[in-house]
Amino acid sequence: MEKKSHDGVVVNGGNDGVVGLNAKMNKLIIDTDPGIDDSMAILMAFQNPEVEILGLTTVFGNVSTENATRNALLLCEIAGCPGVPVAEGSPGPLKGGRPRVADFVHGSDGMGNIFLPPPNAKKSDKSASEFLVEKVTEYPDEVSVLALGPLTNVALAIKRDSSFASKVKNIVVLGGSFFALGNVNPAAEANIYGDPEAADVVFTSGANIVVVGINITTQVQMTDDDLLKLKQSNGKYAQLLSDMCKFYRDWHVKSDGVYGIFLHDPVSFVALVRPDLFTYKKGVVRVETQGICMGHTLLDQGLKKWNGSNPWTGYFPVSVAWTVSVDEVLSYIKTMLTKP
Amino acid sequence: MAAAAEVKKIIIDTDPGIEDAMAIFLALRSPEVEVIGLTTIYGNVYTALATRNALHLTGLISPWPKDHMLPSLVILLKLMNSFTPRTVQNLVLLILSMVPMDLAIKISLHRKESLLAMSAPDFLIEQANLYPGKAIQQDPSFVKNIGQIVLLGGAFAVNGNANPAAEANVSFSSLRCCRYCVTSGANILAVGINVTHQVVLTEADRDKLASSTGTFALYLCKILGVYFNYHNEAYSTKGVYLHDPTAMLASINPSLLTYTEGSVRVQRNGITGLTLLYNKQKSCWMNLYKVNGIDSILYETLVLCINVRTGIVDTFDQVCRNHGVDRSTFGEGGGHSRWTSVLKLVMERLMD
Repeated sequence: MEKKSHDGVVVNGGNDGVVGLNAKMNKLIIDTDPGIDDSMAILMAFQNPEVEILGLTTVFGNVSTENATRNALLLCEIAGCPGVPVAEGSPGPLKGGRPRVADFVHGSDGMGNIFLPPPNAKKSDKSASEFLVEKVTEYPDEVSVLALGPLTNVALAIKRDSSFASKVKNIVVLGGSFFALGNVNPAAEANIYGDPEAADVVFTSGANIVVVGINITTQVQMTDDDLLKLKQSNGKYAQLLSDMCKFYRDWHVKSDGVYGIFLHDPVSFVALVRPDLFTYKKGVVRVETQGICMGHTLLDQGLKKWNGSNPWTGYFPVSVAWTVSVDEVLSYIKTMLTKP
Repeated sequence: MAAAAEVKKIIIDTDPGIEDAMAIFLALRSPEVEVIGLTTIYGNVYTALATRNALHLTGLISPWPKDHMLPSLVILLKLMNSFTPRTVQNLVLLILSMVPMDLAIKISLHRKESLLAMSAPDFLIEQANLYPGKAIQQDPSFVKNIGQIVLLGGAFAVNGNANPAAEANVSFSSLRCCRYCVTSGANILAVGINVTHQVVLTEADRDKLASSTGTFALYLCKILGVYFNYHNEAYSTKGVYLHDPTAMLASINPSLLTYTEGSVRVQRNGITGLTLLYNKQKSCWMNLYKVNGIDSILYETLVLCINVRTGIVDTFDQVCRNHGVDRSTFGEGGGHSRWTSVLKLVMERLMD
């Protein structure tokens, strides 16, 4: 029943809802900075019967780490899983300094300024990197990590335990922009820009990595019409998500002239559970950590045999999402979001 | 010829080089341009050899006045001084080498009107450091004295060929000079390997050249073997990229390529040599950055950079999308067969 896809990402290859007896649950940790589109992805994950969420780890990005933790706890409660551990991660990037927080995209509460009451549940005693290492050690080769924010926590886990990279089943990263413009500036995408050093550590770690850049995710948009349909649907979380999306949508109009929203995080979740809806290019990815192109992700496509060494030589290749079946991914996301 | 005034005068800055040779031959066979001089620089070969090669190549043309073949920057200085404002409007400086550094030096030396021997690369690097690209600032009139600078260099939204980030001409240049060059306000047309990698001369094409009676075609066939071997080894291809001839055609007949316009910046530290084009489709950045004052990067980009026209890959939808370009804006014939017309023209003129 299992279909082995790129780099050992195991998915259930059956039709929607037809889960074979032997189908294994995918153990998943979501490293996240919720975040409006993070919230969508997280609620989608909770609704997916093939995914077992071991916990959420939090990071700065769309919001401060502290607010990310609050929102993660809230989302677990909303999903009816208040017991799922939420381990708080680093308040800032590896090199120190103030974290970059995109509250102008996600609102001051990170959820589109809807200001939900605080959660009842408390965060885990463990730090995000401790939690990541612990779970990956407990279930070697079974745990997937979906990294939706800057990669600080994952890098710290790799630094904390040298076997982390080999024991984690796979890491699906939302980040970077490959041979395309960034969204923070022309060179850089926000998650990578948030902690370029961490991203470089992760991409060169040798772990089984799939990177989904905004060159892919910006192709998958929900239009105003789609958002209206979501609002009118009986989706379990449709009302909440509709409320959250207003702020997000208005920012898209202002920033990109897009009357709708990009589905960055949901698309990355789909890459985890339905890798067959994407194609990939394998190669070494390095991240620029300084200068005007700080945060730029660059893939060596392997078109040329280099004369001598360069910063890309000698590292393990990662899989970079290259094309996406836009209609299928969009329909998958819409189906999930409108599911009662 | 009534249209004589419209013939572009062209100075080719070059490091010949096998395809440089092809580009030079192409220019000499093209009625649209008048080659008024070559300047030489190291790159494919050392400068001394580049000069010798340039002299050798032009020696194949009998009416070519020998005194136009002074080594290196001398010729450019002379030419710049001798141009009247009317004629310079037509002047194209085609840079088939790592231009920016050389250009910056020439500009700075032009200002001082001093003449220096430049036999060793060390000298160039030293000069580049002495005049960190400020040459253009020192002599703003230079950019006005040139109709257009056509630059073979950069890798826009594709891997480089010096390393995954950098194209060779940009990579070997003093990146500070590169930056000043692209931000100088000159009318710059950058032809990157994203474009030139589309123009491939195959073995069959070479056979066609070999069976012709064209002097240049036959000459080129004798020297192309090395270039084919290199491509076979580095790229596992049985064809060669025509970088320099494509850039030459961008000077001769710009309508053969399509363009997008935006700011180009060059990464100067870290993993150096990355060329990045921003064509301003995301309007929020300026306001965003002004409001938050987060970062000087964008600010600097928007304030300092002038428009650099960049040849783009018009056969790949993805790159159009990356650059926010609507393919339909290319107009009639925009797209697939454009590169074949480039190759066809190169072949025709060389076999003539």
